[in-house]
Amino acid sequence: MKKKVLIVDDEKEIVEFLKHFLERFNVNAYTVTRGDEALDEYSRIKPDCVFLDIQLPGKDGLTILKELTKLDPQAQVIMITGKEDKEYQDKAKKYGAQDYITKPLDLSELKEKIEKYIIA
Amino acid sequence: MREDYRRSLETAARQMILVHRADTLARLILRTILSNLKVKHAGILIFDKKRDEYVLKVSRGRSGFKIPAGFVKVKKNNPLIRYFTDKRLPFPKNIILADSIHRLAARSGEPSKKNLKNFLKDLEINLSLYQAKACIPGFYRNELVGILFLGDKKDKSRFSQDELGFLAVLASDVVMALKNTWLIEDLNRQLAINKRLFIQIVSALASSIEAKDAYTSGHTERVVQHSLLIAYNLKHVLRTKSWEKFTENLKIAALLHDIGKIGIPENILNKISSLSDEERKIIENHPSIGATILGHVEELGDVLAGVKYHHERYDGTGYPYHLKGRQIPLIAAIVCLADAFDAMTMDRPYHKALSYKDAIKEIRKNRGKQFAPSVVDAFLRAYSSDAKG
Repeated sequence: MKKKVLIVDDEKEIVEFLKHFLERFNVNAYTVTRGDEALDEYSRIKPDCVFLDIQLPGKDGLTILKELTKLDPQAQVIMITGKEDKEYQDKAKKYGAQDYITKPLDLSELKEKIEKYIIA
Repeated sequence: MREDYRRSLETAARQMILVHRADTLARLILRTILSNLKVKHAGILIFDKKRDEYVLKVSRGRSGFKIPAGFVKVKKNNPLIRYFTDKRLPFPKNIILADSIHRLAARSGEPSKKNLKNFLKDLEINLSLYQAKACIPGFYRNELVGILFLGDKKDKSRFSQDELGFLAVLASDVVMALKNTWLIEDLNRQLAINKRLFIQIVSALASSIEAKDAYTSGHTERVVQHSLLIAYNLKHVLRTKSWEKFTENLKIAALLHDIGKIGIPENILNKISSLSDEERKIIENHPSIGATILGHVEELGDVLAGVKYHHERYDGTGYPYHLKGRQIPLIAAIVCLADAFDAMTMDRPYHKALSYKDAIKEIRKNRGKQFAPSVVDAFLRAYSSDAKG
């Protein structure tokens, strides 16, 4: 069965790009652009992994992360952050995020994360 | 075909001269490329000095293919960069073509060149990650400033020699133009530093007067503040072409307005008893001394007038030149009022300080006498709310 990923990001270009990028790894990508839609979509599709932006309309990334890991303690979440923010990254780890990627990112790093968390 | 490219290049070159912003320029060039070459997407990676890596600054293309600008970077040790920068790699440094990698691999076929083979494999993976069919470097001297990369053509055909030539010219043009805009940005930064330095030196000069005249401590700084506030309230009536330049000059004139006091003997300057006629004449000459001192600095322009005429009165009874009305430059009229207001509200050897309220009354009384009416009006707009309180 194809692996499934949920992308939660309000920037349409990034969502489209990530979706196509994941599809090249034979991964099905589902997308939402609002924070408050993330949880329902997660329950509906039960993805193998979530890419979660930190700044979102409707609900911020950390809040969603907390709710997600409460809903599903096994949830695999990779945060997308805008800059190197140690305090934020520590918080994300504490709330159960597996990893994070920092914009701008080298695509070979993104590939490694996909292989590590989704395909493996 | 050949003719078309030449025309496109000429148009692009003409536009490049007009554009002074690096990002606008890069966007313009991508548009030229996409409309001529019919590729699915293209982008320009530019070396970011602060990050020490190459960041995707602009991109264009179909939804999904287009890599969002600012979302992606390429590290210096990525084979896409090392191909061009690593001198040990025996490849032509003019272009990477995804379709020609296997030919390079065949050339480095012997077992001793296993590293090269691995490198090329890694390169191929990265090309496919970025969906790049061609990468064209932009060098300035020997440094790799940027990389132009292009995706598949819509009809899947290979790039022709003509097209590759066109791209090479564009890439080197982009680099030159970027270097120029960066140079201008650097110059502007340097200019700002010099300006700050200039103001600091002027402030140091101004404080040398305060050191000499015991009663003027803090006076200069306050005259600057009053002057700027008056000018701000004149903004809507002022028809000066360059507001910024005017306030800049005003600030310097206010800082230096009493610089001529350097030429006045201290025993006269700090005299507590009343002055003789001769002593008064000497003191009243300080605007003229100031103008002489600053007259050597050609670039000061308006500032000189501000210093020279800051004791002239609107009714013509001021000193030392007895100018009147509109003969007095605005910059001087503003410093004059600011200077007088501060003198009124501070204790001086010859008088006790007035309250703010009384000083404002005094200024109002002198509208059209000591002070220019428009300047008084602006002053009142700025300060009359203080007076009520």
